[in-house]
Amino acid sequence: MALRDNAIVGFAETRIVLRSEVDVWELGAEILDGILAQTGFEKGEIDGLILSSSSTGAGNIFWSQTTADQLALELDFCQTVDIGGSSPVGAVARAAAAIDAGLCTTVLCLYADTAVAENNGRPRSYGAEWTTPYGYLGAPAAFGMLSRYYHDKFGLDERALGKLAVAQREHALRNDNACEKLRKPITVDDYVQSRMINDPIRLLDCVMPCDGASGVLVTSRKRAEQRGLTRCAVLRGYGERTNLGAASAIVDPTVTGHRQAGERAFAQAGLTPRDIGSFHPYDDFIIAIMMQLEMLGFCVHGQGAAFIHETDFLFSGDLPLNTGGGQISAGQCGLAGGGTNLVEAVRQLFGDGGARQVKDRRHALVTGIGGIPYGRNWNTSTALILTSEG
Amino acid sequence: MAALNDLLDIERPLPPERSFSRPFWEATREKKLLIQYDSVARAYQFYPRPTSIYTGRRANLEWREVSGRGTIFSYTIVRRARPPFRDREPYVVAMVTLEEGVNVMSNIIRCSEDALKTGLAVKPYWHPLPDGRHLLLFEPA
Repeated sequence: MALRDNAIVGFAETRIVLRSEVDVWELGAEILDGILAQTGFEKGEIDGLILSSSSTGAGNIFWSQTTADQLALELDFCQTVDIGGSSPVGAVARAAAAIDAGLCTTVLCLYADTAVAENNGRPRSYGAEWTTPYGYLGAPAAFGMLSRYYHDKFGLDERALGKLAVAQREHALRNDNACEKLRKPITVDDYVQSRMINDPIRLLDCVMPCDGASGVLVTSRKRAEQRGLTRCAVLRGYGERTNLGAASAIVDPTVTGHRQAGERAFAQAGLTPRDIGSFHPYDDFIIAIMMQLEMLGFCVHGQGAAFIHETDFLFSGDLPLNTGGGQISAGQCGLAGGGTNLVEAVRQLFGDGGARQVKDRRHALVTGIGGIPYGRNWNTSTALILTSEG
Repeated sequence: MAALNDLLDIERPLPPERSFSRPFWEATREKKLLIQYDSVARAYQFYPRPTSIYTGRRANLEWREVSGRGTIFSYTIVRRARPPFRDREPYVVAMVTLEEGVNVMSNIIRCSEDALKTGLAVKPYWHPLPDGRHLLLFEPA
């Protein structure tokens, strides 16, 4: 048994909204309902549940169990993954590991958060002691310092970054689930002229906090075949790195764990970046997309801007980028937000892309970013390569 | 170009201290900067941790007083903040590399936007907190 013996066989997603009127468990129920309808699985066949972190669930130390109880799932494997925005992609790898270990057979990976409507999070981190007294705003300030460092080292090409923002926005216009407020076209000039938040981070660099849910169903390819499921996104390669450079007092923030995660995922898959038909990177800030292009081997470290200028990132282009709009143009569903780009990748591999369907639906690369450490870039980097079958 | 604010007159959220960071905070009462040093790895670390980031062993970790002089590693100009910092923008949040080879997050004060740049030499400015401790800020050296 190995990672590639398992596949995502179904997906579901709610609309992304500015503030949810319905309870987070009702969003979870919508995902379960959608996946059962799409795959033909019975509820009783789901014997594993893995949840992402959730700001709404954060006050509940029994989050996965109580959610399972609300959804009336009887399980052999039940847990929450708490590696921040990396949790949704990380959950898929953990589902495969649990299936391979014989702990369960069919896992619902459920990502639901209503962080805007009900945030119960109370972070216990370095923050109160070492950053909050300085008026540090968290992620935007961290990315402000990171961007300044990148600027001083390599130069920061605003128009290249703007091109990424525009491509994602074009995709959100074609995505009915994207947050309605964001479904307006933008230009590179709009990006460059948007107001500074944490100089040099602009408004149009940032995600907008939203509410919503998504999820996927993971099972063995053998079981999928037995059930006659023709559409599968096979788990071809996965890599994860938390706290790159943990034993160093100073690290270069333009170097991230995606280098290690990507190398491992590509080696496992026997593929290279040239094989990737669509790219679905975790996008909390626009510059994170460029840094991932560099770290995952699409281009050389520090030369992301040149690569961006010569690449067409539209769904119809050479390297379709976050074809649902990404979190930046579809809205960030709190700590469940990493599921948005994952579900979009699966949708593309299944050929359900509709008005934004990519041409090459063989291989997709999805990533995660999770957690903001003290004065570095991010805690966890993940990379997952999916291959369509059927 | 708007002047950068020094934020010396606002009430900042009081930093809590942990069992393993208390020596740092106690030293700030006398405007002294203590940081952790691993005598086996022969290297400093910041922020204070419950163990050595180099070896995971605690016995060789000691506190050493340092000058606090350093250079700006990177910075951001905050133009949109939350209370009590709201309406006091713009101000600077920076990482400063101390001479001992660690990075410290703080504010850069008494510095114009024109003078602000990566690599700028800075020295400590101890800002009093209501409980007798001091907050380590930096100003151009």
